[in-house]
Amino acid sequence: MIRLKNALIALLVSGSCVTAHAAHTQLKMATPCQNCHDSVVVGAHATLLCQDCHGADGDLFEPTTIDNKAHGCSGCHKQAEHIFDHAMSTREAEQQFCQRSWSQADPQFFERNCMGCHVTRCLDCHGEGHAINLPDVETCVSCHNGYFVGWDYSSRAPREDSVRYQRGGQNHGQYFLKMRPDVHFEVGMDCSDCHTMTSLQEGKIVARRCVDCHDPDPQVIEHSIDAHMYKLECVSCHAAWAAQEYGSFYIQTRNSSNRDYFRVKPVSDQYVKSAYLKRQDVPPLGLNERGLVAPIRPQFIAYYSEMKNNQPVGEENRLLAAQWKAFTPHTIRRGTVMCDGCHGNARRFMLEPLSRRIYRPDMDGLGLESFWRSVGQTVVNGAFYSPDQFTRMSQKTTEYKRKYVEKWQNFLKKDADSSAN
Amino acid sequence: MSRFLLVIFIVTCWLLTGCQQGKPESQCERCHAALELVSASHTDCIACHGGDASISDKKSAHASMMGPRNPAAPMFWEKSCGQCHAYQLRRLQSNLMFTNTGFVKNIRLTWEGGSEGLYATRAQSTFAANGEPVELLAVSELDNLAGELYRKYCSLCHVGIESHQSWRASHASGCAACHFPFNDNGTYQGNDLALRGKWPHSATHRMESLPTNDVCLRCHNRSGRIALSYQGLNDGNNGAVPVKNAFPANVISGARNVSHIQADIHHDKGLECIDCHTSRDVMGDGYAYENMYLQTEVACEDCHGSATQRPDVQEVKRENDEAVRESRSYQRQVQLGDSLVLTSKGRAYSNVFYREGQVILVGKRDGHEHVSKVITDTPEHQIVGHERMECYACHIAAVPQCFGCHTQYDRSKTGYDFMLKRETTGRFSEKEDYRSLYPFALALDQRGKIAPLTPGCQTFVTVLDETGVVVKQEYVSEFRGKKQLRFAPFYSHNTPAKAVGCSECHANPAFLGFGQHVVEGQSVESTLLCEQGDELPLDGYMVMKYGTIQPFSAVVREHSRPLNETEVRRALAVNQCLVCHANPQDPIYRQVIDYDQIEECLNRATGIR
Repeated sequence: MIRLKNALIALLVSGSCVTAHAAHTQLKMATPCQNCHDSVVVGAHATLLCQDCHGADGDLFEPTTIDNKAHGCSGCHKQAEHIFDHAMSTREAEQQFCQRSWSQADPQFFERNCMGCHVTRCLDCHGEGHAINLPDVETCVSCHNGYFVGWDYSSRAPREDSVRYQRGGQNHGQYFLKMRPDVHFEVGMDCSDCHTMTSLQEGKIVARRCVDCHDPDPQVIEHSIDAHMYKLECVSCHAAWAAQEYGSFYIQTRNSSNRDYFRVKPVSDQYVKSAYLKRQDVPPLGLNERGLVAPIRPQFIAYYSEMKNNQPVGEENRLLAAQWKAFTPHTIRRGTVMCDGCHGNARRFMLEPLSRRIYRPDMDGLGLESFWRSVGQTVVNGAFYSPDQFTRMSQKTTEYKRKYVEKWQNFLKKDADSSAN
Repeated sequence: MSRFLLVIFIVTCWLLTGCQQGKPESQCERCHAALELVSASHTDCIACHGGDASISDKKSAHASMMGPRNPAAPMFWEKSCGQCHAYQLRRLQSNLMFTNTGFVKNIRLTWEGGSEGLYATRAQSTFAANGEPVELLAVSELDNLAGELYRKYCSLCHVGIESHQSWRASHASGCAACHFPFNDNGTYQGNDLALRGKWPHSATHRMESLPTNDVCLRCHNRSGRIALSYQGLNDGNNGAVPVKNAFPANVISGARNVSHIQADIHHDKGLECIDCHTSRDVMGDGYAYENMYLQTEVACEDCHGSATQRPDVQEVKRENDEAVRESRSYQRQVQLGDSLVLTSKGRAYSNVFYREGQVILVGKRDGHEHVSKVITDTPEHQIVGHERMECYACHIAAVPQCFGCHTQYDRSKTGYDFMLKRETTGRFSEKEDYRSLYPFALALDQRGKIAPLTPGCQTFVTVLDETGVVVKQEYVSEFRGKKQLRFAPFYSHNTPAKAVGCSECHANPAFLGFGQHVVEGQSVESTLLCEQGDELPLDGYMVMKYGTIQPFSAVVREHSRPLNETEVRRALAVNQCLVCHANPQDPIYRQVIDYDQIEECLNRATGIR
């Protein structure tokens, strides 16, 4: 028996399912799997037979993978395999962005830099080996980390790329800045409470939106303003902060010791990645696909440089894309910025007056007169707010003045009881 | 005998210096034929350098030279520059840029470094600001972590020490630090073939009697980074991008790179550092001050007036007036009868004139005239309460702020002590959390006025013992008897054309010290947090919970402190008026506001009777 087991292991190691299949067919059906395999299934699947997942012949060695359409799972979990048809597996949006940007300079860019996050099997999210379970926040952030929404939910913002800033808490091999967590995270909610398996299988981003659970209290001053309720996504006010990267630089280096002068976290043998400026305060606002005011951020303002034998190849700091995305920061708090955080705040709406610029990317040859002006930039899934809309929104109407004063009076009253609202 | 020789030497030097003709029999020029003249009045090699001009053999001729590279170094300056420029040398010897007394004092304050006595780069007896004698102790004797940190980190920015391994930040020592500037890599590029390409040397042998901004940048590119901000440069996130010729662009010492920001309006108008800063600011006035803000005599009000008082003026009545002497190398020299504007210490500027009712600053190097706008009696500067503001609380755009300075002191390694000139046990290294330029917090400064702050410093110390074991982790030192982080009042030298708008500041609690935040009820929730507390902002010094305000960081400097609850509430309450009365010239702001009127006022404004 031991000899047989060894033979099977050798076959498995050789990676040939066909050979293994042949090996299993020679066994008598009654031969218990445990004679050869010592795997122990724990959790909800502990009571199942091996064949329930691994096929009647026991020849489905990887029952959860994209290659065999999660055949071992989909028997019970109907349509589970549809997960492979959507964003987390196809990464269509990311691939398309690369096509529009860095791949213009390096056709292999995606393969070289973006292969880390890719759902190819159920077990990517649902546990290890035979310990199958439901994913928690930590599971999700194994991909949804760094600049991507997910890390923010659990109070993490990306640090600067320079080695000087690589310190503090670490998560999935990356240091993070400690931020205020999302209020839903504080009360123990998992990603899956809003992003259900069903919704993901259907290719939907989310199963439950804010208003599916929350009924906005009209007593709240901001909620009493109609325009807020009809023209804004909830996150426009309730996202407390968001990671923003202004100028993402990928530098391809071949046979170039100069890469060592860029004292940043290494990305790969061929690439050095750095950023011109990072922020993690309240993000700018624009319009999303639904035409509602929503947070927007660069995703990405993409620059590319190349060097070979320590000599530049082609134009350096090529601006390949200046694309923004309307998004949903997972940094929800009950509180918000005060009225002037939006009204009259031109920078917040990408209308920074030239005379009020602090950063001057134009003087560094970055091809943009300001990061916070729409000139030369686009929102891929929405639009920038127009100057007219901004002027209208910033008008101090009678109603605005009244509510504005009320808001400050409410903030400044010293009354412990009222703080609960 | 040696004293006799010294007298002979000094007399010879004096004679030579006084002589306007190069000695025809000098052998120096045989090798250094094309060497630039220092200046029209500095023509004799031996007078400054020592050595023997009569010997043709290089080694023997150079044997008695001072240096031989830099006779202006502190170990020679008494015998070289100081022979003629005794007044300047004496001032420089008590000058903070030479003593670094302020550096050491502040480091001791924030690194639990003791408070007994005052330290300097070398022991000396001098006179304090009040005219009383004062003994400065040698920092090489300061046997604690504060002293060691100064010697191993900060002491390179000290005009007594040559720094020649820093790209764009190298400088000579002594007088030459400012008057014989190094280029980016400290290499001689003048006409003398015997010296060309040699390192470390000044860029040429020509003296810069009026140092350029680039000279100031040699040191003032770190810490407050004022020489960068002034010129529109930002030592931002050390991201090393953009790229230029396959290197990081705009590199500056210490693996840093600078990027562009909007420059100070004075820079854009063509003013250089020395156009505002007097020689007494930068070279001292002979008294040993304890901090640079005490030595500095220039203030915004000098040229622009205060809300209530126009600039002070004084006529030049003597031919040997200090300003006449100082302006000798300027394009525009001060003459008898000129009316000069006075500094905050009541001493005359040598380049700011009062003519036909106008304050006119004249560029020292280029002679360009700049008419200064005087703001006295303008309504927007008469706002009740704003008499407590520094000009640059409103007239500022970017304030460089480095949040979270995590310093490791590792006793299992050695570090170079620039003062003791040897490796000793213990190496410092730093990591950081985040940098930002805007917004910034305000608090009370040393004058009791409201000024911008920068972290100064949020130091977290980790100590490793000789075996590399952590014995102290992320330790916050005691300041004013309490473990607390610190902020420092600061003028970042980045004044924009237009002041910050009223609501931009009043309606954003970040400026009051809360950091980036959201407001919930009567609480301010900071969103960028200190690792040592779940509520404390990393980028602020204050929290507000259920209407109660609690500062948790100190503001360094005497008379400085965080804003208190009354001040915070007062600054925020005015938003009730600003929504209608947005113009700072509105007369309502020139009297104390009666908030009991708000309701009535609002009814009027919104048409409700």
